[in-house]
Amino acid sequence: MSKKVFQHPAPREGAVQPWRSLEERNKSPEFLTRAEREFVDGASAAPSPVERREFLTLMGASFGLAGLGLAGCREPRHHTLPYAKQPENTIPGIPTYYASSFPGEFASQPLIVETHQHRPTKVEGNPSHAGSGRASSKFAQASVLDLYDPDRAKGSYGRDGALLAPSAVREALRALAGEAKSDAGEGLAFLARPSSSPTRRRLVKAVRAALPKARWVEYSPVAQDRAEAALGARALPDYAKARRILSIDSDFLGSGDASLEATRAYSEGRRADTVSQAESMTRLYVAESLFTLTGAAADHRLRAPSSHMSALAAAFAKEVLSLTGGPAAAIRVSGLQVDTHWIRECVRDLVDNRGRALIVAGDHLSPEAHRAVAAANAALAAPVRYVAAPDRVANASLADLAARPARTLVILGGNPAYDAPSDVRFAAAVKAAANVVRLGYHGAEFDETSALAREAKGLVLAASHYLESWSDGRAVDGTVVPVQPMIEPLFPSFTELDVIAPFAGSDKDAAALVRETFGQLSKDASDAAYAAWLAEGVLRGTVFSSVQPQLAAAGGDFSAPAVSLDALEARIVPSAHAGDGLFANNGWLAEAPDPLSRTAWENVILVSPRLAKKLSIEPEASQINELGALNRNINAVEDGKLMCRVARLTVGGVTVTGPLFIMPGLADGTVGLQLGFGRRTAGRVATRVDARLRGEVLGNGFSAYPFVTAASPDFRNGVRLELTAERVQVCNLQDHWSMEGRDILREGTVEDLRAGTDFAKLGVDGHAPAVYGKDGAMAPALKAVTTPRGNSAYEHPDHTVAPNVAVWRGHEDKFPAPQQWGMSIDLSTCTGCNACVTACQAENNIPVVGRDQVLKGRSMHWLRLDRYFSDGREHAGLEIPEDPQITFMGVACQHCETAPCETVCPANATVHDEQGLNTMAYNRCIGTRYCANNCPYKVRRFNFLDYNKREAGHYYQGPLGPEKAVKDPADLPQMQKNPDVSVRMRGVMEKCTYCVQRIQEAKIRAKVRAKDSGDVRIPDGALQVACQQACPAGAIEFGDITDPNSRVAKAKASSRSYGALTYLNTRPRTTYQARLRNLNPRMPGARKAPNTRLELDGRAHGPSHAEGAHK
Amino acid sequence: MAHDHDSFSDRPAVLDRVRPAELPRPSLVLNDRGFHWITDKVCGIVEEPTPRWWKVTFLVALFVASFTGVGLAYLVSTGTGTWGLRAPVGWGWAIVNFVFWVGIGHAGTLISAILCLLRQKWRTSINRAAEAMTIFAVMCAGIFPLFHVGRVWFAWWLFPLPNQNAIWPQFRSPLEWDVFAVSTYFTVSTLFWYMGMIPDLGAIRDRARTWWRKAFYSLLAMGWRGGNRQWSNFEMAYLLLAGLSTPLVLSVHTIVSFDFAVSNVPGWHTTIFPPYFVAGAIFSGFAMVLTLMLPLRAIYRLHDVINQYHVDNMCKIILATGTMVGYAYATEFFIAAYSGNPYEKFAFINRAFGQYAWAYWIMVSCNVITPQLFWFRKVRENHSLVWIICLFVNVGMWFERFVITITSLANDYLPSSWGYYSPTIVDIFTFFGTFGFFSVLFLLFVRFLPLLPMAEVKMVTPQADPHAH
Repeated sequence: MSKKVFQHPAPREGAVQPWRSLEERNKSPEFLTRAEREFVDGASAAPSPVERREFLTLMGASFGLAGLGLAGCREPRHHTLPYAKQPENTIPGIPTYYASSFPGEFASQPLIVETHQHRPTKVEGNPSHAGSGRASSKFAQASVLDLYDPDRAKGSYGRDGALLAPSAVREALRALAGEAKSDAGEGLAFLARPSSSPTRRRLVKAVRAALPKARWVEYSPVAQDRAEAALGARALPDYAKARRILSIDSDFLGSGDASLEATRAYSEGRRADTVSQAESMTRLYVAESLFTLTGAAADHRLRAPSSHMSALAAAFAKEVLSLTGGPAAAIRVSGLQVDTHWIRECVRDLVDNRGRALIVAGDHLSPEAHRAVAAANAALAAPVRYVAAPDRVANASLADLAARPARTLVILGGNPAYDAPSDVRFAAAVKAAANVVRLGYHGAEFDETSALAREAKGLVLAASHYLESWSDGRAVDGTVVPVQPMIEPLFPSFTELDVIAPFAGSDKDAAALVRETFGQLSKDASDAAYAAWLAEGVLRGTVFSSVQPQLAAAGGDFSAPAVSLDALEARIVPSAHAGDGLFANNGWLAEAPDPLSRTAWENVILVSPRLAKKLSIEPEASQINELGALNRNINAVEDGKLMCRVARLTVGGVTVTGPLFIMPGLADGTVGLQLGFGRRTAGRVATRVDARLRGEVLGNGFSAYPFVTAASPDFRNGVRLELTAERVQVCNLQDHWSMEGRDILREGTVEDLRAGTDFAKLGVDGHAPAVYGKDGAMAPALKAVTTPRGNSAYEHPDHTVAPNVAVWRGHEDKFPAPQQWGMSIDLSTCTGCNACVTACQAENNIPVVGRDQVLKGRSMHWLRLDRYFSDGREHAGLEIPEDPQITFMGVACQHCETAPCETVCPANATVHDEQGLNTMAYNRCIGTRYCANNCPYKVRRFNFLDYNKREAGHYYQGPLGPEKAVKDPADLPQMQKNPDVSVRMRGVMEKCTYCVQRIQEAKIRAKVRAKDSGDVRIPDGALQVACQQACPAGAIEFGDITDPNSRVAKAKASSRSYGALTYLNTRPRTTYQARLRNLNPRMPGARKAPNTRLELDGRAHGPSHAEGAHK
Repeated sequence: MAHDHDSFSDRPAVLDRVRPAELPRPSLVLNDRGFHWITDKVCGIVEEPTPRWWKVTFLVALFVASFTGVGLAYLVSTGTGTWGLRAPVGWGWAIVNFVFWVGIGHAGTLISAILCLLRQKWRTSINRAAEAMTIFAVMCAGIFPLFHVGRVWFAWWLFPLPNQNAIWPQFRSPLEWDVFAVSTYFTVSTLFWYMGMIPDLGAIRDRARTWWRKAFYSLLAMGWRGGNRQWSNFEMAYLLLAGLSTPLVLSVHTIVSFDFAVSNVPGWHTTIFPPYFVAGAIFSGFAMVLTLMLPLRAIYRLHDVINQYHVDNMCKIILATGTMVGYAYATEFFIAAYSGNPYEKFAFINRAFGQYAWAYWIMVSCNVITPQLFWFRKVRENHSLVWIICLFVNVGMWFERFVITITSLANDYLPSSWGYYSPTIVDIFTFFGTFGFFSVLFLLFVRFLPLLPMAEVKMVTPQADPHAH
């Protein structure tokens, strides 16, 4: 090859000659030839010359093989339009958060909403609001799914049933408003759900000012403001300050808009690790008829019929007043059959804790009872703040509306055609109206009231979801919170404010109205303050102001009607799934099991074991018989199917039919009915899939509304129960009731803590620390990094621990050891509210599998709340316990350090990462299910069918069935999916990942922040997993267990900390804090130890069989 | 030992005068049948015109086999949810059937390999069919673990193939060991079976009258000429393969039992499993051999080569292994009680008295009680009864796997997660179909390949050793 010769310019005469090397200076011939060449020696010659033939051979083979592999075929190319102008603050892949609130009838819940590319995907509590913090309720969590409800109304329809443009709707509303103006609103009536929105309140007042004769009716089947109506002021109990709480049929932890904050405050007083903390631990007494979450949290529980509760409250108040020297004589109680010893000891404890004792009464108690309770609270100097309740704007009742039908009836939200009291002829009132306007989230196809409006030739308007709306509301303490849209309404729809405004003579839109209200409520009405409010989500200084209620002297005659096995009482409560029916079409809620009965997708008639016996249903409650074997005839469970007898309940000529579910812990003569089911016109979730495939509409469960009357919406006396011959299968997620004396869930008492009993280390598991050998005493943080743990059988040969590059040697400090994630769940504070379960489902794209699949035992929840009944007897199972204790245990993947699932997976699809996570590579999973079999905690969930791709009812049609999502990008539920989490296909195992996407996100944040400092550790608290964030009780701690100052490390260092089934040497990263019960030894029936412990002691070992016994 | 030598020299004089009586060995081929008769008999089965019963049975078997085909097609297209699996029972009928079929596939190689090494000459007349049964049973077995996975199209990931993701299978997983154990067993058993057939295939080839038969059997006979050198090589190879197969007979079911024993599920996590499973497998395998051989013997009138002595021996093996299995059941209970572990205790008491007690007692009565009838010679000689008892054993052994797999999973550690498993129609049909699949293969074998090892049977006839004692 020819070599190019460089012609260097000749050096100038006399100039200083720079030289590059001694050779140049010496002008050595080797140098000169080298300098003349452009490239160094050999640079132009190929290192191993390829012969032409060889080249052709190689290339020929390459082309041939390339053609063989069809590498030339590309995926079809799609062109999308990029942003011409990047929207401000929008970074694809980075979620944006906005403040908003979940509107409640009584109080709104402040929220932070996560949006991905302007799609709201998840809600969290707003930490700016001290009362609720980051916590959120299951209903708030599930509300995101409602936004993408495929059955929601997608347009508004006129009187003739034709689709109306939004402008035409506004026109029609203005016309109606004009017509109403002519007679001062004489024939106009509004019917709405109660609301905490100040803007709505303001608008209603404006309507009533403009149209003085117009009627404004507010109706909710489960009214939450009856106590304040009786007292003239709203009572805000301070559960955090109270050390002794007596709840009289008030499920303050489990239902109602205030339950979230109540749970948060209450759990503060239940957290105790040291003796001194335990001394001031809250003690909870509960008198109730059904089993509620509050009853499950109780230390002492009294079963009594609901219709006795007013009298019982009076009896308690009387006892309080007589012990404190108050006017007790005016209270006269008769007909009450109750353990007076219980009342006496309970009240003595309350009085002994004067100033920190509190009585809360259920909303359904009589006004006199509420007044008696208020008097007792006053006598106890109870930590209750009375505030001026928002003024009432309603000027008529539903009964009044039915009695005197309006000419123009505007029905805003709710579903009165379904949930109105049975003695109110609501349908007739609608049909009698000349003009009906119905604003509903579901159209005439999927909603009883919309259908009725359609029938009455009314306007059926599509309502906006709150995540698409402008509005506002007040939190429990009165703080004004905004409701702001996260997304343009998916369909042309209207808010309540949009519909009311024309009648108030306002032509402003909802956003302007909210802005206006803000101006009136805020001290600083500037735009900056408004923007700050929207950004922060709370308006400071707007809590309700305290008032001193003018309490009439407590007194009166309280008589309890006869309730017995022969004279039954029906207690009617909102269901855990559908509430009063408004959430009926929400799959997450339908599938989240009722925490107590563990039923899903339907409601049941709850009966006490004693009543069941009287009906000669003889279930053998627990499954373990005298031999210690599982009994086949468990509470009507046959071959794994919960087969329930169908019963007919009759009262006042009205009949309700439903399956009987025997629920321990019910008052003997009380029958429990749950609202929200048995819809006649409803969407795909609220109705039975099997029926829909047959072309029928059959609601899940049965409707209990026939029993609801205007006078008695909460309970009915004199119910007759007839057993039918029919038996139906009820959908439940947990067949088994008893923990069978196993040491899975540990419980102790304050006494135990005081005595130093190691109640967290009992039973077989008491031996577990021994498996660590000499490391047994090692700090958990050290154990986490030094003890061997699951990993891949082969490490990558090139993989060495950082710093693995020579240049970083000497900078080892820049490579901190990876953080080790762990979780601790406090069983003491967990109330079983299901917020974590729903939050997990929302965060992790967990599919809803439907009733049929749940019946087959294939629910997909990564996190479940196990519920166990215990009555302290060894073989608790031979009889259904009548008065048991309930304990909940949240179980998700325990991220075992030596995970049994990892070693058995033949595909290497589940492996350990260096931060201690048991990770699941969905792509690698072939679905042998061996891991699930080998998981002692049974937390792995398998995609048996295409739950994400196909809709319930079509799972079994395989490729022949319709696909719901994959081919339709506009598929609504698909829009909820969290883009940070894979959507799993069938045949793949899945389980809790400790929200690995959140860990990654936090890691990236930490790395960005760290810059060159090397401090890439995620600080404690900067990372919260979904269940932890939602938990109102703060029962879940998550963080770095190697950091001794992290909250989780402290929780794990608690004497109550234990791991479940650790004797298997699984070394779970999720551990539990044993439940602490604060028993009053003077109470009747108080035992020395919790019932689960008594069962364990009686079953397997002596009481002293803790680990220490073997040292 | 020196003492022995001494005593040898002064052995009692009486010994010179007595002659110990030789116990008559039962004849393996009755009625003084000669070589030619044997050749005619065995080759005749292959050479005769296809009998009607064969055609009918074959069509029925094909039809039954289609159930498996349809079941699998539905399964793969729609999902594992078409089976009755649920949480917490991740393994249902598929694994039960797998272990059942693999167990059946034990007898053949045991008969041909272990009994060969132990010089049990009675094995000769049954080993061919038993080996065929083994291979077909392992094929049936293989269907289940393959198709029970959620994404069968990725099942090839179980093989350690180099790939660009540099991900290997998990070598610690017993399922991975299964892949190797079962495939090795299948390969070696097939080799062994085929190699043993070569001399007989040569005989059929030599008698073939049509060109296609000649071509077909020539191909299969691999140029067998029956020369001394070939025989010598054949014998040596046969011995070597027998030696190779012997540990495999023990290892394959040992490893299958590891699927359970290596896990931590109460009721699975048991060290007794390997011998218990092997005994159970031999038990069910022999029962299946008898189930197949008794009708074949009747159809082809093979009473002279498969005689009461063979049936007797097999019945005795069934009796012995059945008793071992029964002993294992008892041991499990003892160890569970002795462990003091409440989870273990519960698992076993629950098996016997819990929600699946019916399955447990079916298992015990079929596996432990029925074979005890083989203590009686009258029973062993009543072949209808033998056949029925063998059916019971097969049913019992299926239930044994059901009891182990299902009861342990259904009720393990957390009572909250307990459930009840029941199969769907797809489960049932897919399993039912494998009997058709098995029958199709077996019928083809009967029709086209030598049912009995002619050469070996001839070796055990009295004529083969005219100078014998």
